[in-house]
Amino acid sequence: MDIRDWAIRYAEASDADPTIGAMARYFTCTYLFDMSDAKAIVEMVDGKVHRINIAPQPMDPWDFALRASAQTWREFARAVPRPMFHGIWAASFRRDLRIEGNTLVLMQNLRNFTLQFELLRKVGVPV
Amino acid sequence: MAKHSPVIGRYVTIDVDGCEYKVFYLQNGQGVPLVCQHTAGCHNHQWRDLLEDEEITRHYNVIAYDLARHGKSDPPLNKEWWKEEYRLTADHYVNFIVAFCDALELKNPIFMGSSFGGNVALQLALRKPDRFRAVIPVEAAAHAPGFFLDVWRHPHANAAQVCASGVWDLMAPQSPDRDRWLTWHYYTQGSEAFRGDLYFYSVDHDLRDSLAKIDTRRCPVVMMTGTYDYLTPPDATEKTAAGIPGGIYIEMEDIGHFPMSENYPVFRVYLREALRIIRERTG
Repeated sequence: MDIRDWAIRYAEASDADPTIGAMARYFTCTYLFDMSDAKAIVEMVDGKVHRINIAPQPMDPWDFALRASAQTWREFARAVPRPMFHGIWAASFRRDLRIEGNTLVLMQNLRNFTLQFELLRKVGVPV
Repeated sequence: MAKHSPVIGRYVTIDVDGCEYKVFYLQNGQGVPLVCQHTAGCHNHQWRDLLEDEEITRHYNVIAYDLARHGKSDPPLNKEWWKEEYRLTADHYVNFIVAFCDALELKNPIFMGSSFGGNVALQLALRKPDRFRAVIPVEAAAHAPGFFLDVWRHPHANAAQVCASGVWDLMAPQSPDRDRWLTWHYYTQGSEAFRGDLYFYSVDHDLRDSLAKIDTRRCPVVMMTGTYDYLTPPDATEKTAAGIPGGIYIEMEDIGHFPMSENYPVFRVYLREALRIIRERTG
C-alpha cells in the first residue's frame, strides 16, 4: 500500500471511530510512526486527524515517536496480532519497538492513542 | 420478580501488623474454600463470573475479597495513611491474607491470585505451606521487574486512563470487547493504589533464590499463564514452575494477564484442570 493511500485510510478510520469519538475532545498531540521503510507524522487536534506528514524532514517536530522494524509493523497490522505484537507496551517490553520523545504526552492521550494504534489492524501499514 | 445473584457481600474487620482493616468480600458456594485475590490496582469484581459458576460453586466456597485500599476495603481506619506513600510489602501482604482467612475460620483453603495476587500465592506457598491446601498462582513469576513506574500516578496525566489503558494490551485481542472494557473500567477506579501495589509486584517480591525451598508436598503449586501476557510471559512462569520441586505449569492459549476478568469461558477450562490436579494431590 502506498503511504499516501495509507494516510487517507488511517485518517478516515480514526475520524469515524465511535470509541475514539466518545472521548475525543482533548485528544491533541503529534507523533511519529517510524516503520523503517516508511515514516509519517500524525497531527491530532481535538480528536480529529488534522494532518499527516508522509515525508517528514529531520527537523519536523513531534511529541513522541514509535520506532520499530518494518516486520514488526507488519505484525501490528495483522487482524489478530500474534502475542507480543498486540500493543505498544507488549512490543516495547518484548520486541523491538522503541518509544521515544515526551512520553508524558503519550500518557496524557493514552486511551485514544491506544485505540488509534489498533486501527492498524483494519487499515494495514505501508511497509 | 427480582433477578438476584446468589453472590453475597460482607465486611469483616481484621488486624494486620497493627492496621485495622474493614475488609469487603464476595462469597458464593460450598465445600473447599477457594480464596481469590484480584490484580494490582483492581478489586474483587474481576472474579464476578467465577462467583456465579454453578459447576465450581457446587464444590467450592468461592471467596473474593478486596485487598485494603481497593474496591470497598478502605485504607487502615486507625492510621493517618494519607501522610505516607503507599508501598505494599510482601510481609504485610502475606499477613493480610492469613489474617483474613483466620477471621473467616477457613480450613485448608486453596488460594488463587492473578498477577500480584499470583506472586503472593508463591509467597504463601513458601512461608505458609501448612495454612493452605494448595495455591494457584495465575500470571505469576519468581520475579517481575519493570512495572513500578511513576507514570501510574503522574499529576500531569489522567491517572485513571493511564492505568486502564496502560494495562489494555496485557489482555488478548481475542478476548471479548465487553469483558475487556469491563476490566478497563475496573482499572479506572484504582489508580492511587496501583503504583503502591506494584512496589510489591516488581520490587519487594523476588523469590529467584527461594523457589527450591517451596515444599509442594505440603502445599501444591499449580501455575497458569496466558500466551498474551507480556509482563509475565509464559516462559517466565514456566521457568518459575520448573524451579519449584513438584511445581506444575499450565499454559493458557489466547488469553492475557487478566484471564478471569477478560475471558472467563476460556479461563475456566484451565481452572477446572488446576482444581482437578489439586484434588488428586490433596484428596
